[in-house]
Amino acid sequence: MARFRLSNSLDPMAGLLALQHELERAFENPPVNFGLSGRGVFPPLNVFADKDDLVVRVEVPGVSPDSLKIETHGRTLTISGVRESTPSASASFHRRERDAGQFARSIQLPEGLDGSAAQASYQHGILTVRVPKKEEAKPRQITVQAA
Amino acid sequence: MTPQEMTLREKQELGGEERTRPGRAYVPYIDIAESQDALWLWADMPGVDEQSMDVRLDNGVLTIEGHVTLKEYENLSPVYTEYNVGDFVRRLALSDDIDTERIKAKMANGVLELELPKTERAKPRQIPVTGA
Repeated sequence: MARFRLSNSLDPMAGLLALQHELERAFENPPVNFGLSGRGVFPPLNVFADKDDLVVRVEVPGVSPDSLKIETHGRTLTISGVRESTPSASASFHRRERDAGQFARSIQLPEGLDGSAAQASYQHGILTVRVPKKEEAKPRQITVQAA
Repeated sequence: MTPQEMTLREKQELGGEERTRPGRAYVPYIDIAESQDALWLWADMPGVDEQSMDVRLDNGVLTIEGHVTLKEYENLSPVYTEYNVGDFVRRLALSDDIDTERIKAKMANGVLELELPKTERAKPRQIPVTGA
């Protein structure tokens, strides 16, 4: 049974500031639930839940979707890829702040998720991986028989 | 040769100015390169699409401002977070040598690419040498 501490659902209508507060509150949540030792590896990831799925999101702008690899192996989800350097054939750089190279990040999924049914989408530089909850982990209504 | 590993960099918060839209903004990381004909700029702005991208030139100051869409956060509850989201803003002073009429902007996969062509007089010229 997945054991996450859920905060309130995010409401985009409440605006950017409200969203930022909610995300910041979740900075306090322990990383060990996901087999992580904390921040410090690229790319930083955010984990959300809605009623059906666990949603893992990372910001990886400028990556060719072909180089993205999303793998699930048992309860481990691994996201990896390569970001090419800015083309610099006949140019000299005045500033070079953007990093390039390979990246890989693994996360331990809580129990009750179906890793084999995970789906990923990449849009505007953000990769979103949705892992559905197993049927039996979803809340079910149990009807009460009147005696 | 194996590519090197990417390193983690914190998002830089924009300081020192008030914005009309509440919420903190971030300063995008950029690359600037110069070729014979133009200056090129790339800015990382994940979550920004071309409609939400604003590129302005005012008195020699280039402002790039990208608004992030919040729709994809609908109905999600944060469980564990390592990064926050916000609009991106950066300002740069451009020299006179840019032909502002011909600036081209492209947005793909959360990266803004700007081509800032140099004016004719700013391009390097080869001076032919004649023999006596």
